[in-house]
Amino acid sequence: MWTIGFLAIPLALYLVIVVGPLLYSFFFSLTDWNGFSFDFNFVGLANFQRVFSDPLFGNAIRNTVIWMIIAILVPVTCGLGLALILHERVRGANIYKSLFYLPICLSLAVIGQVWFWIYQPRWGLLNLTLNGIGLGDLTRAWLADPDTALLSVIVAWCWQQIGLGMVIFLAGLTSVPVELTEAAQIDGANYWQSLRHVVIPLLRPSTVVVVALAVINSLKSFDIVYIMTRGGPFNSSDTLATFMYDESFRKYYMGYGSAISVVLFAIALVVIAFYFRQVRALEHLYD
Amino acid sequence: MTNVSLAVGNATLERERAREQWRQRTARALLYIFLTALVFVYSLPGLGVILTSFKTNAEISRGGLWSMPGELRFTNYEEAWVEGNVHTYTVNSFLVTIPATLFSIALGVLTGYVFSKLPFRGSEALFIFIVAGMFFPPQIVLIPLFRLFNTVGLYDTLWPMIIVHVAFGLPICTLLMRNFFSTVPTAIREAAIIDGANEGQILLLVMLPLSLPALAVLATLQFTWIWNDFLWPLIFTQSDNMRTIMVGLVTLRGQYSVAWGVQGAMAVIASVPTLIIFIFFQRYFIRGLTLGAVKG
Repeated sequence: MWTIGFLAIPLALYLVIVVGPLLYSFFFSLTDWNGFSFDFNFVGLANFQRVFSDPLFGNAIRNTVIWMIIAILVPVTCGLGLALILHERVRGANIYKSLFYLPICLSLAVIGQVWFWIYQPRWGLLNLTLNGIGLGDLTRAWLADPDTALLSVIVAWCWQQIGLGMVIFLAGLTSVPVELTEAAQIDGANYWQSLRHVVIPLLRPSTVVVVALAVINSLKSFDIVYIMTRGGPFNSSDTLATFMYDESFRKYYMGYGSAISVVLFAIALVVIAFYFRQVRALEHLYD
Repeated sequence: MTNVSLAVGNATLERERAREQWRQRTARALLYIFLTALVFVYSLPGLGVILTSFKTNAEISRGGLWSMPGELRFTNYEEAWVEGNVHTYTVNSFLVTIPATLFSIALGVLTGYVFSKLPFRGSEALFIFIVAGMFFPPQIVLIPLFRLFNTVGLYDTLWPMIIVHVAFGLPICTLLMRNFFSTVPTAIREAAIIDGANEGQILLLVMLPLSLPALAVLATLQFTWIWNDFLWPLIFTQSDNMRTIMVGLVTLRGQYSVAWGVQGAMAVIASVPTLIIFIFFQRYFIRGLTLGAVKG
């Protein structure tokens, strides 16, 4: 009796706001709804045909994959590196940690704004620095150049994500028994050997989490792109999330936008299934 | 003979030890220099905004964004706050964030308690079903929710954000509260039952006082995520008076495209609430991040 009472409101809300709309997205993806009128027509799978032949969709997929790869590499390596340094007895480690954590509490809207200034062609810190150290040839309008727009946005995003990776690796490191690394040292292993053969294998659960977060967050990457480039110039920094928003809320192809979101859902589903399998496997490993 | 060689051996050992010590000290010094340089580079973006927010346009065009301001003046903050309508955005953000934070935690307490202390057939599957919501990009429900709130007449009010944040906060709140309640001994609940308490009383009078640390963790996390949100208010609001601060920031960027100082001031104002949370409740915030991430 109490169980039903406790679950009623949360479950109802979850069904109405999350699950129901999800199913509705499938429904809308078969229509040509334009966002204004109440009515719409069924168009079958036409939207999906369009998705898979749309060069802009291919472009968004490509950019999202690039984002994903960098999102996996940078926060994992830099986050792990920082965590390893700060896990040692470094004086003032807490102050250093706090400073690296800090970007996590900032909004991506603010971060996008700040980095927009860093990349500003005339006054931006990046071009000023490049000029200052005699690399003036490399200066450019970073966000207005199709060659660099996407990477510039990803760098700004990584500024925040490295801290997140570090948090998770630091938590993982506290669970690595000191006896094991000491035993490795007694057996004659140097720092790098004990790192490679003892510490990093034991950090596998943390690594799975950081990688999963990176993949999921790259599928969600919207705010910072919207604020820094709006997906431009010439769609060069469009991700799946911004592409879906553009088609639905700027061009009002809500039916087409729904089809894109269904594809996004399918990709997310694969990632999540993979993640849960990994977590299950890890749980068995440490039981 | 042996004495001499021993003495020599000792001297070499001593020298060896001194060298080792020196090497370690240099390594440490290099590490600190490296770390400090890294932290400096890492904090440059933040420093830049703060510096800019105190400068006049004339100062910026003379010295650029990255020089020291001549004096500490708050004119940019005044202009952003009063003329830039930032006070309205800030009030709206609080009106969304505070109720959404409280309600999402309240619902998480209910579900977390059920999944940890009142399991039933299929409750584990239901739990995973709810927690999985954490991983999906919000884009997949954007269009139906847009239509829903239009149909019920809540478009361009603050309600959609509150409702959506409570619903989307449910996965993380459920997860953290269930994990927390699992650490509370079942004996406590059984003792309360013997004393004649019902489940509602147990949750409210016994469990809730115990879970203050977990509630603090969730409060810091939820407040930060909801305050920083950009997508939902972008979709669900239209008029300037309904904007939350993050969307307002972007709207004003067009209006003040050359007034960098005012923009800097707005970015600082928008970040102050979450910075305060971070500075005073960092312990809880970080614990929440690791718990939420690792246990997911």
